[in-house]
Amino acid sequence: MNKKNIACNIYTVLVFIFLYLPILVLIMYSFNSTDSTSVLKGFSFQWYKELFTDSATLNALKNTLVLAILSSVIATLVGTAAAYGISKMQNKYIKNATMSVTQIPMINPEIVTGISMMLLFVFVGTIVGTSSSLGFGTVLIAHITFNLPYVILLVLPKFKEMDRNLPKAAQDLGCTPLQSFFKVELPAIMPGIIAGFIMAFTLSLDDFVISYFTTGSGFETLPIRIYSMTKKRVTPDMYALSTLIFVSILVLLLISNLMSDKNRKEMSKKAKTIAKVSIGSVFGIIGIVTIIVLAMSAGTKTVKLNVYNWGEYISDGGQGSYNTNKEFELYYENLHYEKTGEKIDVQVNYTTFASNEDLYAKLKSGAGGYDIIVPSDYMLEKLHKEGLIQSLGKVDTITEAIPNLQYLNSQFKDMFVYPNENGELELYGAMYTYGVVGIVYNTEKISPEDLEKIENGEMGWEILYDQEYMERYKGQILQFNNPRDAFGTAMYHLGFNVNTASTDQWQRAYELLQKQKPYVQSYVMDEIYNKMESGEAALAAYYAGDCLAMAENNENLGFFYPKNSQGVFETNIFADAMCIPTSSQNKELALAYINFMLSEEAAVANAEYIYYSSPYTHVKDNLDYQIYMGYCDYVYVLDENDEYVLDENGDPIIELDENGNPIIEYFEDGDYSVIYYEEFENSLGSMFNSYAFKDLDTTVGASITTQDLNGYWEGLKVDSGSFDGTIYIICGIILVGIIGFAVYYIVITKKRRKLYWNNSPSAPQEKAEEKDDSMSETVMIAAVKAEKKKKD
Amino acid sequence: MNKKSNILKQAAAYPHIVWSVLFIIAPLIFVMYYAFTDKEGRFTLENITSLAQPSYLEVFLRSLCFAFLATVICLIIAYPVAYFISKTSPKAQKILIMLVTLPQWLNFLIRTYSWMALLEDTGIINTILESLNMQPIHMINTPFAVILGMVYNFLPYMIIPLHSVMSKLDNRLLVAASDLGCNQFQVMTRIVLPLSKSGIISGITMVFVPSISTFYISQKLGGGNFDLIGDTIERQFQTAYNYNLGAAMSFVLMILIVISMAIMNKYSDEDGGVIV
Repeated sequence: MNKKNIACNIYTVLVFIFLYLPILVLIMYSFNSTDSTSVLKGFSFQWYKELFTDSATLNALKNTLVLAILSSVIATLVGTAAAYGISKMQNKYIKNATMSVTQIPMINPEIVTGISMMLLFVFVGTIVGTSSSLGFGTVLIAHITFNLPYVILLVLPKFKEMDRNLPKAAQDLGCTPLQSFFKVELPAIMPGIIAGFIMAFTLSLDDFVISYFTTGSGFETLPIRIYSMTKKRVTPDMYALSTLIFVSILVLLLISNLMSDKNRKEMSKKAKTIAKVSIGSVFGIIGIVTIIVLAMSAGTKTVKLNVYNWGEYISDGGQGSYNTNKEFELYYENLHYEKTGEKIDVQVNYTTFASNEDLYAKLKSGAGGYDIIVPSDYMLEKLHKEGLIQSLGKVDTITEAIPNLQYLNSQFKDMFVYPNENGELELYGAMYTYGVVGIVYNTEKISPEDLEKIENGEMGWEILYDQEYMERYKGQILQFNNPRDAFGTAMYHLGFNVNTASTDQWQRAYELLQKQKPYVQSYVMDEIYNKMESGEAALAAYYAGDCLAMAENNENLGFFYPKNSQGVFETNIFADAMCIPTSSQNKELALAYINFMLSEEAAVANAEYIYYSSPYTHVKDNLDYQIYMGYCDYVYVLDENDEYVLDENGDPIIELDENGNPIIEYFEDGDYSVIYYEEFENSLGSMFNSYAFKDLDTTVGASITTQDLNGYWEGLKVDSGSFDGTIYIICGIILVGIIGFAVYYIVITKKRRKLYWNNSPSAPQEKAEEKDDSMSETVMIAAVKAEKKKKD
Repeated sequence: MNKKSNILKQAAAYPHIVWSVLFIIAPLIFVMYYAFTDKEGRFTLENITSLAQPSYLEVFLRSLCFAFLATVICLIIAYPVAYFISKTSPKAQKILIMLVTLPQWLNFLIRTYSWMALLEDTGIINTILESLNMQPIHMINTPFAVILGMVYNFLPYMIIPLHSVMSKLDNRLLVAASDLGCNQFQVMTRIVLPLSKSGIISGITMVFVPSISTFYISQKLGGGNFDLIGDTIERQFQTAYNYNLGAAMSFVLMILIVISMAIMNKYSDEDGGVIV
């Protein structure tokens, strides 16, 4: 017996280790001293510090908690009532119909629930006539909806298990039906309710797909925030946050354990009163503070600006950096006060998306109510064509509305400019950043000959697509997990122009990608950071800035821009620009925001944060920025031991020339030279014309549509030529085993039953007579079935 | 009198029924609408028939297989755990169940990321194996990794309903059974198993359904080399804008799930089951 107990304990412990293993890993990485989530470099608390300065994340956390509490409480109340009602239902069909409908949200894939609810909300919104029908309310409704079935499913069995005579007995003893419910039934089903509540809370806390589709401007939960980081990387401060949540719940658990029932009973009346008073006063203080805050904010007018940007795409005040949104709020409040003497409260509601396609779906649905969005070039074209974004102003006078546009590199002056019906040119997007796709590689995994070729600048896309190379790096190649970029690189390799290619040429690119599929390790977006940094993969194409960011965590990573056989660079170039959606309610504020984002301090901070190229001269020429990107540095005064000479503040002294200006030393390499690659720089404008992968639907000369491209991609992705089929065999064997067991079980049970009923033939009838109308009808069916069987 | 009060009691379910009609049925009508129309809104069966291609059929089959295996493994792991937990003191039960759900409170995406760090060829597990002079195992981007991810994420959904039924088990029944000559194994199969049926069914639903429609796990741990139905649906809605095809897939998936549940219920029914 004892031995068995030990075995049981060991087994349970093993299962718990399994459950907690990944959590251990994430705790470990939360103390990492770099921003990698795959390479451990050293111990530090920096991500915890960062977390507490990151107001957007803290706000998202607050939203998540409020949402989880509200939705789970409402779902538990409605669900418990529903379970009670269902358990009392006698009409089999109504009962079954109710139960089936209840389970639909569980059966439906989350994404379908999310999308279908979005369609519904937007539909209702257009009927009612609001511009932004999505937001907190709709997310709450969606969460309650998918929480309900779980609550019902956990509470209903408790009603079934409960002895049906209990409430009756209670009523016989003088309880009113209400009393019998609260005194007898409720305690009996309490474990189910608690389990249901916890389940609902947990599900709501963790959901991202449904929230993602049903939310609009200004409401972002934590999972959405993390999910939106999937173009860039998931930052370790999320790990830090998870660790904190984990630890605090564990502590709560310990405390509740210490204050077990026993202790509570022993607790004196006085202690109980103190506990009550302290809980009461906490709530009281929260109430008073809320009232004060409300009263204070009642006096000033609140102006909201809804910004929808890529995840990890703005300097947000982390690690002592510039908090762009906060600075803008202050700046605009002052500006407005100086202009009008009126005090206002500006609020930037900053939310994030993961891809252009997501952004499009949100805008197209007519919901959102965004004032600023940041699409990429091709998406901007599409949005303009469909009338979803508005003009920022006429090109001739644009610098009056957005003065900082004067710093835009002249090569980009023609971008995002479209004529209106009078033939006047209007600007639709203020460039935010641009970048080029290149190839990142691991020097330790690349053969020396290939490495030499790369270093001599002789390597092109063939390293990803030629049979010889694919064989060599089989299972070590990462490919983009989106159709445009994957097809783009294949087209460049084949030497076709993505914007004018014929159907036949697309077909060839498709065949090339199909040929490459067995050699690809995985199709990735944000995971590329992990996989390249940890040395899991050898080769991948990705956006230049991100590649440099990876190289920071692994010194073996290199990067190059591919050339074609004529020695000419051939790769995709992209640009993201700030736009104002047609539905924006506050264009003036939006324009002020754009201008502020392009002001030197904000633009430099963002360029340093995003690591993509900036198209603005005042950023490119900014000394701090150049130093940050490793392009140059001050020359410092050194003593005879080659050590810095320090001034009275402990800072190293900068060497000055005869005019008293600091001497600056320039370096050949460094990230700056890679991002602003000279050979590109001179021809960027024309590169955009020939290489930027334009929107297939709106470009003249494109032989296929986006839908066709997606069709090709669909074909590539569902093709499973190289999939190992042993899993089907395993499945089949288990299935046969289960069916065998089931048959055996049914036969045995039948035999046993026969034996029983032969011995006491009157048993089933007696049972049937005993039951009154409140008897569970399922038992009745069983009894009737049994009777039938007997007759047979 | 009795009937009247019973109708009144049934009324407790009405808010839920109204809610379901508004927020479950109505959105579903949108899905149906998209599944049976083309881009211009004309009626068509093409979306459904186009799923009969061998490549889509394999995606469906594979998803069924993966979800089935994940469910079976979850049941095998969870059943003894739930049983052991139900045999501990009420206080310990509370804590242990809390500990089972605790991982779910941390973000699912991040937990999946952690598994990536564990399973990679250069990951934590293989590094440990190598330092012990053992052969490293290739795990990431295999069906094994995907099923492991499913089992990991949905295991608590199996343990909780099982435990909630088992904790209600009358211990006297077990004692009576062994008094009447049952051995340990017979007690398990003849008493505990039949009595925990409703928990098993709830658990299977709660694991099978999310497993069959998951997409994040297969993308991160499977490397995007083999599609599951969830990936395919997600792509229609998020990159391909093919809402019609996506809706048709979800429609077929729903029917598949309903059929699986119906089969399961047919053979495990008798006391009404919890499902459908």
